[in-house]
Amino acid sequence: MIEIRALTKSVPTSEGTLTILKSVNLEIAESEIVAIVGASGSGKSTLLGLMAGLDAATSGDVLLGGHSLAAMDEEQRAVLRGQIVGFVFQSFQLLPSLTALENVMLPIELKGDSEARAKATALLERVGLGERITHYPNQLSGGEQQRVAIARAFATEAKILFADEPTGNLDTATGAKIIELIFDLNKEFATTLVLVTHDERLAQRCGRIVRLVAGEIVND
Amino acid sequence: MTNSGTYSAHSAIDIPLGDGRKSLGTLLGLATRLLWRDWRSGELRLLFLALVMAVASVSGIALFTDRLEKALLLESANMLAADRVLGSGRALPEEILDEAKGRGLRTARTLSFTSMAFSDAGNMLVSAKAVSAAYPLRGDIIIADAPFVRGTPIQRGPQPGEVWLESRALPALGIDVGDSVYVGEAEFELTKIIIAEPDRSGGGMVDNAGPRLMLHMDDVERTNVVQMGSRVSYRFLFSSEELLQLDEFEAWIDDAYEGEYRLRDVRDESEEVSEALNRAESFLLLGSLFAVLLAGVAIALTAKRYSERHYDYVAILKTFGCTSAQIGFIYLWIQALLAVAAVIVGSLLGWGVHHVILRALQAVISVDLPSASFEPFIVGALTAVICLLSFALPPLLALRETPPLRVLRKDISQQRIGANIPYLFGVGGTIGLVYWYSEDFVLTSVLVIAVASIAILLSGLSFLLLSSSGAIGMRAGSAWKLAMSAARRRRKQNVLQVMVFSVTIMSLLILGLLRSDLIADWQAQLPENTPNHFLMNISQPQVAGIEEFFDEKGVQGNAFYPLISARVLSINGELPDPQDELEADEDNSTVARGSDTGAEEEGAEEPEEGQVRGRLSRRQVTWAEEIPADNRILAGEWWGESAAAGFVSIEEDYAEWLGIELGDSIEFEISAQTITAEVSSFRSVRWDNMQPNFYIIFSPGTIDHLGATFLSTVLMEREQKILLNELVQRFPTIVVIEIDALIEQIQNIIAQVTSAIELISVLVLICGALVLLACVNATLDERFYENAILRTLGGGKRLIMTSLLIEFASIGFLAGLVATLGAEASLYYLQEKLFGQDFHLHYWVWVAGPLLGTLVIAGLGINSTRGVVSISPLNVLRRLN
Repeated sequence: MIEIRALTKSVPTSEGTLTILKSVNLEIAESEIVAIVGASGSGKSTLLGLMAGLDAATSGDVLLGGHSLAAMDEEQRAVLRGQIVGFVFQSFQLLPSLTALENVMLPIELKGDSEARAKATALLERVGLGERITHYPNQLSGGEQQRVAIARAFATEAKILFADEPTGNLDTATGAKIIELIFDLNKEFATTLVLVTHDERLAQRCGRIVRLVAGEIVND
Repeated sequence: MTNSGTYSAHSAIDIPLGDGRKSLGTLLGLATRLLWRDWRSGELRLLFLALVMAVASVSGIALFTDRLEKALLLESANMLAADRVLGSGRALPEEILDEAKGRGLRTARTLSFTSMAFSDAGNMLVSAKAVSAAYPLRGDIIIADAPFVRGTPIQRGPQPGEVWLESRALPALGIDVGDSVYVGEAEFELTKIIIAEPDRSGGGMVDNAGPRLMLHMDDVERTNVVQMGSRVSYRFLFSSEELLQLDEFEAWIDDAYEGEYRLRDVRDESEEVSEALNRAESFLLLGSLFAVLLAGVAIALTAKRYSERHYDYVAILKTFGCTSAQIGFIYLWIQALLAVAAVIVGSLLGWGVHHVILRALQAVISVDLPSASFEPFIVGALTAVICLLSFALPPLLALRETPPLRVLRKDISQQRIGANIPYLFGVGGTIGLVYWYSEDFVLTSVLVIAVASIAILLSGLSFLLLSSSGAIGMRAGSAWKLAMSAARRRRKQNVLQVMVFSVTIMSLLILGLLRSDLIADWQAQLPENTPNHFLMNISQPQVAGIEEFFDEKGVQGNAFYPLISARVLSINGELPDPQDELEADEDNSTVARGSDTGAEEEGAEEPEEGQVRGRLSRRQVTWAEEIPADNRILAGEWWGESAAAGFVSIEEDYAEWLGIELGDSIEFEISAQTITAEVSSFRSVRWDNMQPNFYIIFSPGTIDHLGATFLSTVLMEREQKILLNELVQRFPTIVVIEIDALIEQIQNIIAQVTSAIELISVLVLICGALVLLACVNATLDERFYENAILRTLGGGKRLIMTSLLIEFASIGFLAGLVATLGAEASLYYLQEKLFGQDFHLHYWVWVAGPLLGTLVIAGLGINSTRGVVSISPLNVLRRLN
């Protein structure tokens, strides 16, 4: 489902070029659940961003669902993201001016689906927020906001779900519930799941752990 | 696995990729929903409000000026009883009238002459005026059945066989309505009393020599009064609802008669009215320009904030698969919808605003306003579009470049469009808008130069101040230190903010100061008790008698000026060599220059003399011990009480025209004698004050022996006018020129113009307030965030509020100071170049400007950021995350 070939990312800094990822190779199969772990600054979020087509690599390539990201410009990557990728973020990234329902409806609407409202409502009920669909993000707790974000991630029936520290902003108990939810939905939708985390317990629940140290995979 | 880029190993997972195109309907629907959701959350309100204000102020002011201008022209057309007038001392060619009729103009004719009117009981000198059936073309004659009452308007003159008389002629002739009046060889029946006549203030001596007697044009022949050589004033009157028709007709006359005849309109007729109208137009234009400029700045600020708050929005849209082109389309559509809504709401509001203005003006606008044209709405709509395109589009389009990675890393917000490009767009748009709107190079350049200088000045000044501010109050924990470090941290934003505040305060100061200077100028020109009658041809022995008469009747008399006709013969023994035509030389229309009206006429009797001689026409000169009020010495010295004979004081323009220097010896011809005098001073003269004014004033003892008549002025209220009869009966040789109607008309027009100016100032003030609010709001998020963190770290409410107060107050003070500087500089340019006023520094503003800036900005800032300490820091942080 995802194939990474000699992926390198460097950024210019005031002290010269900083290489964040050093020629990373990785393959992830369909429906696989992979945790990418590593310390802060090890390059895991950068790797996630590149895999998901949110950023362009310095060299190397990512094949996402069979499509070469290196050969695409940002416009084409956007189209790809819209069709096969879903996201869950550490900071939830809900739009504050939209209600929970509208946040979930947004990606469905973007696809031009006229059933957006019904689908979004069903998903919010599925994540246990059926009573709070008209609430705004700032009226919801962190756990609830992340549930909305998860509902939104599954709303487009994406083939691949990228989750960046999904429990990073939550307490342990809430985080555990969120993880359960992600795994449950993942099973239901048969999604390929790529998780970035430094929570070892969360990582242990994934089928596969990829460990990054200073931009290199040291353990797979 | 292959190298083709297709993931063949997992081809079982068939993920075909569509082209990602979304149907127009999807995008439009999405954009509309986004707009609605943003609107509901209040994100768009300030931007929308700024747009609405731009449209409302521009269309409101344009509507108002459009109609007011028409109304003022109509009102002033009443002074002529027509739109255009052709006047001459000789009979006018009939084909002019035929041509006008052929072109569809309305026409009328009048003929004025002085004559004796007789009754069975007495006689008196009257200013007779014969009018054709169509007279008056504009305005009304107010008539009554008895003298000295209010009367009713009518739009025609007397029928053949009838005469109408002004009230004060009745007691003098000892008659009543219905009695017989004789003019020349004809007998008439007095049928109505004239209370007011539209063009009474126009005309020359023949129209102002006595009370009016009006008769029908067809009766003139019967009187046998007007004969070869009679002093008669012929006038053709023209009017049309189509300005273009009048202009074309004017061009035809110029062409057909090679400049021999010139149509006059109200601006030619009265310098005072023309100046008031011109200044009012300039002021209204300036006011609406400031309104546009300020609304534009408000739009720029709110759009920038709007787009900043949408970075995350766009990043998320992009992660969900929106392409840049689709983002661009969505925001374009949002803008288009906003523009349409703002144009509709703004136009309605503009219509309302102009109605409020009109209602407020009802008391002073006495004529029915012509209906508004549609053009102001187009102007308003175009303003909204241009404002949006130049101020709002750039930051919103820059949103397209938001990198999707921002969803993972908030610090990323690099845009491919340089951060300064949007400002360049805005600047370009503003200049274009100002020029398009004003079509006035002076105005545009003043605005551009003022704003640009402020920008440059501020960048330097703020940099210096903010850099050095670190040295101030280094005591740890002090509010000063906090404020100064905050100010330094946001240096770039603060410079921008100070700039916006300065431009706003400057606009308000310029308009406010200009307003009070204009009004003060007008009040000084024609103060409450301006004398409204000229008494001329008074002999030396009559002076004491007239003074006594006024004392006896309780009328406020004024100084008596001796009048004598003089001509410059030589300067330092050489024939004078006048420069180009002296502007004042052409103008003999206002009674204010009554002192040289006679001179012009005398001059006109000798047209066959040499050119220089002709242009050096005779002038009515005087001598005086005291310098007349409203005159100022510009060079040399005025003779004191111990005045020696042999000196002369010359008006500045006249002196310049003839190339006269101080100390020159000038030879005059007065009463067939040659008099030599030394130039001891140059004076400025206020020609528009409707008072006796002189180009040449001699020191006492120089020409006293040559025999002069005297001129004086007197203020007579309407009910006192009957005293004029007694006055002319007791002193039959004197000539009374009545300018009360003219003064009243001018005062009326100026009152209207003043109210208009006041209201425009208020509108601009509202726009200014909006900008200030938008500007404070622009950095609100950041301040909230920083101060929430400060509070989390243990900063007390007091410390935070004091530091905010100091930061805002410093910005306000700086902005006020720079604004004052900019306002005074712009005013200098505007007053000297555009408004024809003398510029003087407004000392109090140098205190008031910075103070105003400090108070307003500190007040607004503290009011907007109060929430920092009243909302819990957790909530603030949460809201902003």
